[in-house]
Amino acid sequence: MERINKIKVKILPYIGIFCFLNLWEILPRLGVVDAQFLPPFSTVCLAIQTLWQDGILYTNTIISLWRVLIGLLLAIFIAVPLGFFLEVFSPEISKRLDGLFNLLSHVNPFSLAPLFILLFGIGEKEKLAIISLSAVWPILFHTITGIRSVNPILIKTGRSMNISTGVLIKDILFPGALPIIITGIRLGVQMSMFMLIAAEMMGAGAGLGWLVHNSAMVYQIPRLYAGGVFIILLGMSLNKIILWFQTYSWFWQERTGVAEQTHIKRRHKQVSSVAVFCFMFIFSGVLFFGGNEVHKINTQVRTLPMNHDMHQHSAGMEKGAETTEPQKAYVPNFKADEDKHK
Amino acid sequence: MYRTKIILQHNLPIILFFLLWEVVANSSLVNPMLLPAFSKVIMTLGGLFYSGELLTHTLISLERALGGFVAALVIGIPLGFLMGGWFRTTQTVLAPLFDISSQVNPFILFHIIILFLGIGETAKITIIAWVCIWPIVFNTAAGVRNVDEILLKEARSFDLQRWSIFYKIILPSAARSIFTGIRISAGYSFFLLIAVEVMGADSGLGWFILYSQENYNVEAIFAGAVVIALLGVTMDAGIKYIEKKIIIWQ
Repeated sequence: MERINKIKVKILPYIGIFCFLNLWEILPRLGVVDAQFLPPFSTVCLAIQTLWQDGILYTNTIISLWRVLIGLLLAIFIAVPLGFFLEVFSPEISKRLDGLFNLLSHVNPFSLAPLFILLFGIGEKEKLAIISLSAVWPILFHTITGIRSVNPILIKTGRSMNISTGVLIKDILFPGALPIIITGIRLGVQMSMFMLIAAEMMGAGAGLGWLVHNSAMVYQIPRLYAGGVFIILLGMSLNKIILWFQTYSWFWQERTGVAEQTHIKRRHKQVSSVAVFCFMFIFSGVLFFGGNEVHKINTQVRTLPMNHDMHQHSAGMEKGAETTEPQKAYVPNFKADEDKHK
Repeated sequence: MYRTKIILQHNLPIILFFLLWEVVANSSLVNPMLLPAFSKVIMTLGGLFYSGELLTHTLISLERALGGFVAALVIGIPLGFLMGGWFRTTQTVLAPLFDISSQVNPFILFHIIILFLGIGETAKITIIAWVCIWPIVFNTAAGVRNVDEILLKEARSFDLQRWSIFYKIILPSAARSIFTGIRISAGYSFFLLIAVEVMGADSGLGWFILYSQENYNVEAIFAGAVVIALLGVTMDAGIKYIEKKIIIWQ
């Protein structure tokens, strides 16, 4: 009985996904849903395989990943030091600034996108600016909240021991605020994933957003779903990695609550150096290869004549075009594709 | 008198910010093509409102955003209670599926929904609702999960009915968390509205900004951005106000 229960607990979470995938497979096959609009899951898997073999998927995924990571790093490097600076050196001013930050955070990055385009031109800088701008606010707010929520007794104790501000930040404020800062980073990742895909759809020559947009334009529906699946996977894995960091960032905390008792043991552990090393390795790998691919795409664009159509065609799709169909139906801008769907 | 002083003091950074904007824009430090003076933006804004052009677009946008947001509220809150641990098995089965669904990118969904529904109001509202649902669901579920055990046990020892426990204990304790979700969702709804309108619409504030961009009318871009920011701030403040009115026990 015990054993059956254990198996049940292990299987139960996957039942939902399993049923969902099965429905996705069966409904189009039975003709309940139009298979042209919703291809069966197996067809989508085949599309993923083809894309992978052509190398299109790898190029576009790593380019998107590179953009998100760089945008996020920029946002973190701006928001976290700013939050600490404001809170440590002038809590009074920081409180006063709350209203302004609140106002600014409601400025939609999308409404400023035209300005970024005017300022930087359509290119990497513009996309990175949009991504970082959307990720900066949640991170800044959570940094400030995190520092404010550090136990004041700890700060006072530190002060009474006459520690320097640097030590105060390093040993008290930073560990205390870290879990909340990471929550902010998670929200920032969510935001920047939204923005990334939108920015890539609006004007890019590569990336997962572009892949999906292009597939929709040339009416390659399985490829559209394949790109969508990969974007979900990318978002989920980023989320998982950050969650993993968050569980470790609580290492200093003693849990007293009854809830989530199973996690207590893990939370006291620090991150092992091997894991950090692996993470850094993968991270720099993505930055290196991603940067490489992005550079390649951009030089390709530059060598082409300045033509909007060419610009959108450039990302290694030439290979894909042979295996699929000629891109006759391709409509480059939004006005035109609106007409098509009407 | 004292009150005006307080209000002035609290909003000092905002006033300073706009003053700085004005000064920098007039000082020929930056290209006026990129950063028009704040006074000019306000004047453009006034002119646009006077001609009624901007007002129409604002109302259309507001309708879309609120439509999606309200749909998300209606679906999200009950779903959140369902996920909060009253039906343990349903919760374990559905949780991973919801995790995945919340990662589904709205813009990808846009293309898929267009296949089925075509470009239209329904498609736009569906996308906004889709994104707004998840913060509400997850926050409601978290709120229900974090209800004080002792209160629940006490209620049971008083032999309260299931419905009364829900109404008198779970709903009030989860309220704060639910409102957090609602506020995040309200932010998302404006965020996405603009994106959706930029991608495929012939009206609304997002379209207005795109149109201004195509005409190199930078002042109008800023005017649109100011209106969107104001709408967002107002909505946020409105929800905070309602929260204060409803949650009187904390």
